[in-house]
Amino acid sequence: MRTFRIGFLLGFRQIQRASIWTTTLIIFVMMLTFLNLIAVSGVLVGLIAGAEKAVRENTYGDLVISPHSEEDHILNTQTIVREISTYPEITTYSVRYNGTGELEANFKERRDLKGDADVTGVKVTGIDTQKEDTTTNLSDFIVEGEYLDPNEEGKILIGAYYLSQYAELYGDIFETVEDVHPGDTVRLTVGEISKEFTVKGIIQSKVDDTNLNTYIPEREFRRLFGRIDQNADVIAIKINNPADNIKIKESLLNSGLGDYAKIQTFEESTPKFLADIKKTFNLLGTFIGSIGLVVASITIFIIIFINALSRRRNIGILKGIGISERAIEIAYVLQATFYALAGSLLGALLTYGFLVPYFDANPIQFPFSDGILVADPIETLYKFGILFITTLIAGFLPAWLITRQNTLNSILGRK
Amino acid sequence: MEIIKAQDIYRTFVSGNITTHVLKGVSLDVQLGEFVAIMGKSGAGKSTFMYQLSILDHPTSGTIIINGTNTKELNEHEQTEFRLNTLGYIFQDYALVPDLSATENCMLPLLMKGEDWDKAKNKAVEMLTSVGLETRVDNLPSQLSGGEQQRVAIARALAGNPKIIFADEPTANLDTISGNAIIDLLGELNKKGQTIVMVTHEEEYTKYCNRIVRMEDGKIIKEEVLR
Repeated sequence: MRTFRIGFLLGFRQIQRASIWTTTLIIFVMMLTFLNLIAVSGVLVGLIAGAEKAVRENTYGDLVISPHSEEDHILNTQTIVREISTYPEITTYSVRYNGTGELEANFKERRDLKGDADVTGVKVTGIDTQKEDTTTNLSDFIVEGEYLDPNEEGKILIGAYYLSQYAELYGDIFETVEDVHPGDTVRLTVGEISKEFTVKGIIQSKVDDTNLNTYIPEREFRRLFGRIDQNADVIAIKINNPADNIKIKESLLNSGLGDYAKIQTFEESTPKFLADIKKTFNLLGTFIGSIGLVVASITIFIIIFINALSRRRNIGILKGIGISERAIEIAYVLQATFYALAGSLLGALLTYGFLVPYFDANPIQFPFSDGILVADPIETLYKFGILFITTLIAGFLPAWLITRQNTLNSILGRK
Repeated sequence: MEIIKAQDIYRTFVSGNITTHVLKGVSLDVQLGEFVAIMGKSGAGKSTFMYQLSILDHPTSGTIIINGTNTKELNEHEQTEFRLNTLGYIFQDYALVPDLSATENCMLPLLMKGEDWDKAKNKAVEMLTSVGLETRVDNLPSQLSGGEQQRVAIARALAGNPKIIFADEPTANLDTISGNAIIDLLGELNKKGQTIVMVTHEEEYTKYCNRIVRMEDGKIIKEEVLR
């Protein structure tokens, strides 16, 4: 106890009397180290989390109902729809019908009938235009033209990657049609049946599933694809509190809906590779962050070592007058603790008070996602723990080295 | 009663191929309450001898018994405890902790001995008052003159209630007036029964000493009993 008291007195006074600029600089370095640990992996994970968020909010929702693997479509879709309509926790849902067809453009201008037609294979999704928009905000992603009107027929939305002017950035990856804009007429062929549609809008988002899709009203889809049974392919559900999706899923399964379709939370429906990428990026971020940690440890070691070395004589005198080595070491560990705490506290304030809300409001524009900063408090606490312990060791070691030197040599400044 | 008994002390320093014999079989007894001055020219070995007596250094050979304890038998930790409980130090350049106030400097040995904060503070202020620094208790060393700093060092040495005070040229960095004041203070302490061993160059500062031990070339060449 007496050792701690002396150590605390010596350490506290050293911090108190130290140059304000030196102290500020050290705390600044510690803050940057903390940010490096949290923000680098946070942005990398946020890159994937942003993509995940986009898929959740703009495609699949919080719960996804899809056909059992042995079935082509969701069975008894209308029963399922009636059941989910009774849940107050479910704010909205969208029933989708999926199919594939052939999209032909510029056929009216075609003069050489022996030449290749301007055709591409497309995915076609039949939607309730209003329900889809309330579920996934699809209309927000119209980059040309307008969203589908529920009272109109013969209109189509085309994903940007089916159009040469949007897809050319990606080389020959996508099969496209040339120079199609809102107001143009395109022909959609499914098997033997063809129907002409007027392009109502071009749609582009960070989710490739949207960019590589065409949307038509469900009534027209069913007619075109001959889906008279009204059994859908996907039902995307949004919930008041997304975290409750497990509870709602259990409840739907208990209602017996599991017999008709596969009911999954968004997390369950996320492809494994996405989760693996997320883990990889986290690991990569931690690796980059650990380099920062090593730099911070060396910085603290040098600072404390120079500090202790410049006070070597004082340390000798303290030992000479009977102050224990442990008390002197505690004084230096206390300083390192102060720098680590102050730097981390400022870093945490900056992270949670500014950076996280800022990147939530202004995501980083990556090609495939709106990158956010992911800073899980538990993980932050864990990383702070690592930084703190590393700093303590980096503070203790130099003090230990200096206090172990011969007392008289320290007092006289001899080597 | 002997409080220090040093017998046949040798101290040799080896640096590479060079061996230097600084102390060559020095023996000295100091009685309780004595004020002993160790004098000699530069390089005579007087400071080295004092470092051995005050167990800041360890002799190459020989025995030092202080207050009945053979210092050779103490480990590093016990030596620190022994210095805390038995010895007080006054260094040539005051050796105060620059970040601590005069009071806090004096509190160090008391806190280390386990005294509670308030008691240590009161005693430290009392010690500072006894050396005439009652108005400077909250000042940092940098805010005090050389003479005042040396008084703080004396107050710190006294605060631990040591059996012996070792003073290594305590007046060396002071002007004549301040130097005399410090010597007067040490004389006062000795009158109250404090044992003091002091290394000095100056004859005039031995006026309160009971005995002068003169050294030359690592040996005691003469002892003068003054009173």
